[in-house]
Amino acid sequence: MTAPNNSQRQQAWSGRLGKLHRVTFVDIVLWTLRIALLLLVVVGTIATLWKGTYDARHWFDFFMFGLTIGGVYALIALGYTMVYGVLRLINFAHGDITMTGAFSAYFLARSFDRTGFLDAYPVTATLGIMALSMAVCTASALIVERICYRPFRHVATLAPLICAIGASFVLQHAFRGMFGSNVRSYPDPEWLKGHVSILGLSLPTVQPLVILSAVAAMIFLYLVVQRTKMGLAMRAVSEDRDTAALMGIDANKIIIFTFVLGACMAGIGGVLYCFVYKQIYFYMGFLPGIKAFSAAVLGGIGNIPGAMFGGFFLGVIESIGPPLFLDGLGVPAPYQLRDLVAFTLLVMVLVFRPQGLLGETLVKRRA
Amino acid sequence: MKKCSWSAPAIAAAALLASVSFGAHAETKGPVTDELGVVEIPKDAPIVIGGYWVISGPDTALGLDSKRGVEIAFDDIGNQIAGHSIQLIVEDDGCNAEGGQTAATKLATVPDIVAVLGPACSSAATAAAPILWKAGLTNVGTATTAPSLTAADRKPDYFGYMRTIYSDSDQGRNDAEWFFKDLKCKTLATIHDGSPYASQLAKVAADHFKELGGEVVAEEAVTPTDVDMRPVLTGIGTKKPCVVYFPTFVAATAQIIRQAPEIPDLKDSQMIGGSAVMAPGLLEAAGDAAKDFRITNVDISPEVMGAKYPEFIEKYTKKFGEGPINAFHAQAYDAGVILAKAIEKVAKKDDKGTTYVGKKALHDELFATKGYDGISGPINCNEHGQCGAFNFAVYQFTDGDPSTFKAGENPKKIFPTK
Repeated sequence: MTAPNNSQRQQAWSGRLGKLHRVTFVDIVLWTLRIALLLLVVVGTIATLWKGTYDARHWFDFFMFGLTIGGVYALIALGYTMVYGVLRLINFAHGDITMTGAFSAYFLARSFDRTGFLDAYPVTATLGIMALSMAVCTASALIVERICYRPFRHVATLAPLICAIGASFVLQHAFRGMFGSNVRSYPDPEWLKGHVSILGLSLPTVQPLVILSAVAAMIFLYLVVQRTKMGLAMRAVSEDRDTAALMGIDANKIIIFTFVLGACMAGIGGVLYCFVYKQIYFYMGFLPGIKAFSAAVLGGIGNIPGAMFGGFFLGVIESIGPPLFLDGLGVPAPYQLRDLVAFTLLVMVLVFRPQGLLGETLVKRRA
Repeated sequence: MKKCSWSAPAIAAAALLASVSFGAHAETKGPVTDELGVVEIPKDAPIVIGGYWVISGPDTALGLDSKRGVEIAFDDIGNQIAGHSIQLIVEDDGCNAEGGQTAATKLATVPDIVAVLGPACSSAATAAAPILWKAGLTNVGTATTAPSLTAADRKPDYFGYMRTIYSDSDQGRNDAEWFFKDLKCKTLATIHDGSPYASQLAKVAADHFKELGGEVVAEEAVTPTDVDMRPVLTGIGTKKPCVVYFPTFVAATAQIIRQAPEIPDLKDSQMIGGSAVMAPGLLEAAGDAAKDFRITNVDISPEVMGAKYPEFIEKYTKKFGEGPINAFHAQAYDAGVILAKAIEKVAKKDDKGTTYVGKKALHDELFATKGYDGISGPINCNEHGQCGAFNFAVYQFTDGDPSTFKAGENPKKIFPTK
């Protein structure tokens, strides 16, 4: 090894300078923004904790609210992420597909409630409501797939995306036309109203119920995708549709299977959403749909555990973020900025990890 | 230099031209000259009156009730003004600013429209009133209570706006006094939804509560479509307020009263809503959680209303097959009547039977309404368009079943007790 001579040193220097010169104005602005946001979060958090408005019990409550709604986001997000994995398509109507199931199940839930069946047989009644919701979600998902997506499957344009947005409006307004635009109250059975004690902490019954149901549904889904032949085929189609077809996999069947799985998760998610918020409205699917889509992107779209994680993460941030970051800074009415906090954080995560929290860098040449 | 001396007179000339073309554009049609324009109504043609209210969605009752009030008013005058039949063109404003803007833009382009009634939501009025006034149309509000709409310092854009309903500056002050003196509360938390109605009302109430010597421990906000109220309620719970006052609309109010019982810190707080939710829609959205829920409102019991109010209720029930579905039908009725009277007064006919209505003359005539004995009480307009008076009352829901809704019974008046 010889010591580098002068010209080599000079080269190395100019190389470094060259790299330095590539720092553009935009980079500086972006970094300033990142640092400012990070500072805001850190200073806000410290100030809030210093102020001590909320004690541990409150933070635990916020966390549980977040996990509850996060579970619902996660279930809906699975539909987005699976369809994206298989078709490379954002199924924008998915939020409204969720609404169709929850809305239809409302009528069953109401009659169960009126006849006293919901209070007498909570488990059977809930399973029945969920089954109906899943069936309706599946039906509407398959109709949307058949009419709006399949004709465009081999067309490399934005048409399917526009169709998806159109389908979303059609579903909303079909339900508005059929059932009116009033907000309706979801039944609130007695067994859902109480509190349960878990590890010495008292929680509203609905929270562990929703979280556990969501987790159970996700475990079931994970087993289906990882342990069954259909799941294997689904993963194969998602990897490379043409090669999968060469191996004898019927891609069409797999795509339908994917839509059915996603719709079932949405059906469960919709009913759980109604257990938490107890209201039905034709527009109710839109915002959770957008949030769930964000959750899927946050977790790494196309990645199933990513969507689950993203959903819970977004739910918790939405719940804890405003009081933790903004309360200490003296921002009035921090909860109004809940979506802002959630989406700013989403952008932050994507700035640092464009592929999402659990996403792999996608292979460019894919089906 | 030369260029300058050229441009100065040019600018002056342009300014003069502009002032001629856009400033005073008095119009003469038939026997009437009016600076805002003249509406010409041929013999046998109807008089066109615009209306905009929320007639879809969760707050439908709020707008529909007003619309019905106006319809009964027109029935009572035989659906005739100055010898012409009345054509009421109604747009839906969805109870939001965008809807108000769309409705006003549509109404402003209706040919030969004379004036506009409505809306029921201040957010819609805030967006719509300037558009209508630009078209020279006077707008008589029927259920919009935001103080800014008829404030003494309102912008010239709003000079065409007046209302037969009270202002929330009265409602808010009375709310605060009731919380402080009658409920004997020293701490207050407010929640609004960012709408002009809710935010201004919550602020007036909070400010007056402070003047009375109370402490406002939280002034929070949600969005009208929010479904998750637990975080905001948990935040408010940490301050342990004696009263939580949330004059929000149906959807948000229903969520708050359903979720509040789940917050342990709020178990001793009194949850009080506002006047926008005296509607069957609230019972539909909140179910049993609405039972015992109290709202502050304008007093609509027959003994404080005008002498003709019971007669009006009879007509309402007969025409629509149900009792009033909200609190502001009487103000809407009065708006319809004073508008009809004002048109009658300023309308001029020529030999062919064509009627001419000057828009400015109509505006001035409406704003000069004084001493009219309305079914909602006396109507006296001031120069800022505030015509309606206010009687404070508190109502309480007695049942969560939407079919039991009847203004005066469920919810029933609990204050003042006489």
